[in-house]
Amino acid sequence: TGGHTTEILRLLGCLSESYSPRHYVLADSDKMSEAKIRSFEQKRAETFSESQFTLDRIPRSREVRQSWISSVVTTLYSILYSLPLTYKWKPDLILCNGPGTCVPVCISAFLLGLLRIKRTIIVYVESICRVETLSLSGKILYYFSDYFIVQWPDLKKKYPKSVYLGRIV
Amino acid sequence: FRFKESLAEELQSADLVISHAGAGSCLETLEKGKPLIVVINDKLMDNHQLELAKQLHRDGYVLYCNCSTLVETLQSMDLSTLKPFPPGQPEKFASFLDKVLGFQ
Repeated sequence: TGGHTTEILRLLGCLSESYSPRHYVLADSDKMSEAKIRSFEQKRAETFSESQFTLDRIPRSREVRQSWISSVVTTLYSILYSLPLTYKWKPDLILCNGPGTCVPVCISAFLLGLLRIKRTIIVYVESICRVETLSLSGKILYYFSDYFIVQWPDLKKKYPKSVYLGRIV
Repeated sequence: FRFKESLAEELQSADLVISHAGAGSCLETLEKGKPLIVVINDKLMDNHQLELAKQLHRDGYVLYCNCSTLVETLQSMDLSTLKPFPPGQPEKFASFLDKVLGFQ
């Protein structure tokens, strides 16, 4: 969604073409991100003509302030959609930065890892808005990610297994 | 004006920006080097927006107030106390990731 997409595109902008093809996963209700992504990829294709990407949508895993119990149900439902995608793409790397959509995708990849189908490296970058507390996605994925990046020193202190590189967006 | 795709033009020509505490608005404004007053909506319960605004204020990049103190802030503000906002460094992220994946 919105801010998350802007942040992640900034991170992607610095990556080399080794990070290709790129598979984007969006929430079905997200209206603005697709345009931003296509515009980013179009620009990228001007420099790297071999550039490839795909775009898929999964059901939104959680509405703002949705209750715990129903969130578990809706997230499980989203996992049903993200599992075939992660199975199809078998990504070497998943990069995410906090919208609810990333939880089912990462959990799917984690499951594929447990089943020895594909070992994906999961890199989570907490949003720059998070100075003192983690987002809900962050609190969950702190335990499932291989590398958990925070952008402010207070979070590094609270979550010692995280990586602090300063402000990266 | 509701959901214009980009406020970049308006931002470019502004001398002062008064904004809510949304990260996108704050960062976009600071990156354009415009002085910023962040207005916190105390009726909105979403406190995580406050974290970034408070930090930016602590570091001296923005002024901050709430709806009821906005007029007073505008009257007494001294924009020269605001520090220039250094850009983020996504290259550090790129090097880190390259090392993790063995691309060097």
